[in-house]
Amino acid sequence: MTPSSANSLRTSLAVTLSVWRALFLREANTRLSAGRGAAVWVLGEPILQTIIMLIIFTFLRIKVVSGIDVLAWLIIGLTFFPVFKRPGSAAQQAISANQTLFAYRQVRPVDTVFVRAFLEGFLVLLVILVIGGGAVFLFAVDLLPDDPGMMAAAFLGLWLMGLGYGLVASVAVELIPEFGKIFGIMMTPLYMTSGAILPIHNISEPYRSWVLYNPMVHGLETARAGVSSYYHVIAGTDLAYLYQVALMTIFLGLALHVRFETKLLTQ
Amino acid sequence: MIIVDNLYKRYQTSHGPGKWVLEDVSFVIPRNVSVGLVGRNGAGKSTLLRLIGGVDKPNRGHVEHRCRVSWPMGFGGGLQPSLTGRQNAKFICRIHGHEDDIPERLAYIQAFAEIGDAFDEPVKTYSSGMKSRLQFGLSLAFDFDVYISDEVTSTGDASFKQKASQAFKDLVGKSSLIMVSHSDGTLKDFCTAGIWLDKGRAHWFDHIEDALTAYKDSLNL
Repeated sequence: MTPSSANSLRTSLAVTLSVWRALFLREANTRLSAGRGAAVWVLGEPILQTIIMLIIFTFLRIKVVSGIDVLAWLIIGLTFFPVFKRPGSAAQQAISANQTLFAYRQVRPVDTVFVRAFLEGFLVLLVILVIGGGAVFLFAVDLLPDDPGMMAAAFLGLWLMGLGYGLVASVAVELIPEFGKIFGIMMTPLYMTSGAILPIHNISEPYRSWVLYNPMVHGLETARAGVSSYYHVIAGTDLAYLYQVALMTIFLGLALHVRFETKLLTQ
Repeated sequence: MIIVDNLYKRYQTSHGPGKWVLEDVSFVIPRNVSVGLVGRNGAGKSTLLRLIGGVDKPNRGHVEHRCRVSWPMGFGGGLQPSLTGRQNAKFICRIHGHEDDIPERLAYIQAFAEIGDAFDEPVKTYSSGMKSRLQFGLSLAFDFDVYISDEVTSTGDASFKQKASQAFKDLVGKSSLIMVSHSDGTLKDFCTAGIWLDKGRAHWFDHIEDALTAYKDSLNL
């Protein structure tokens, strides 16, 4: 083929950007073409999950705090916790799933983690828009945000937390596979204490302060406050805390990727 | 030019580090010199190719490229089995920064590989010969100064071997090869220098015939 001088002059930024683009399209392609009706299931599966949980919890008639519709409270919890969980879990598996691609020097383990977190974040956003839109227009749930900026800030914070978790977990499970089991065990308590489905308003002190160490509580409460300005957030809610934990985790994850890159590529 | 300096490599096994596959391997491959790697099975030929290609990392020592080096072709490495040949090819074009001329490169790869409709089937359905046809086409679609071939031609049929050797001959003068092959004829056709791998050590020969002789003498002992 014809020689291209541009190829030899590519900066590392240009290489990284083209790798991200290629990986993103490849991942999206795999997600959308894996099996029958994959394109439908990509959004259908999380939407159905959320709807089933909604039905169950509506029948259970969980009592919730004043200032927000019960359904709106639940929908936020069920759709915003995955903003952390799905990118995090997908990114955790990124390195082992893309092992064959490290045959190309351009592709680095950290690239696969970033791309998966981006793709899942995008899909989760679509799920939120579909479920939120459906709830507002079909069932007249009061979900139109009073403060969209606050919701966006909560979304970004939870996503950054997922990215940080994915960066750390991807290295951890590659080097010490047993971590995969430990992270799996940790995820359910994290979910239950995040106030996503179980209200934590009526937990008595000092235990409520303990629950507030869970960074996701702050993201979910902020998202609810963004929907209804009358919503009573839990005392001690602080979105900055979520961002601080997220940025520290991202920093730790990046450091792990730099420190152990050779080990991740070595067989 | 490729500089291999003081290379050590061993693999991690389930019970601690394994034995050294390569020990204190050092050599310099000058520009435009094609090199054949010889040695018995398990001598570390593929390992050395993977280290030169930058796919795997050495435990000690380093490899320095002063030219563009291809990824190692051979044994289905670098192909995602669940994706089609075309999707794999697109991915490789993209990471090499050829977003703009993907259609031309795809046409070239498809024409070279000659695998027909299978180009749009998942790679996991390919035979080993079809895989090496695709891999070979893929790496030739990009301009490298050095191509690394791990017995890529050995699984092909007669017509593919013919085509591959023609492609190698066209590269002479522009690019060079580092290849592993168990066929004396192939090595003598394409390589000038040789490296004989034995007991973890590498022995450099300026002429491939001497490397083959040394290798064969060691087998008779």
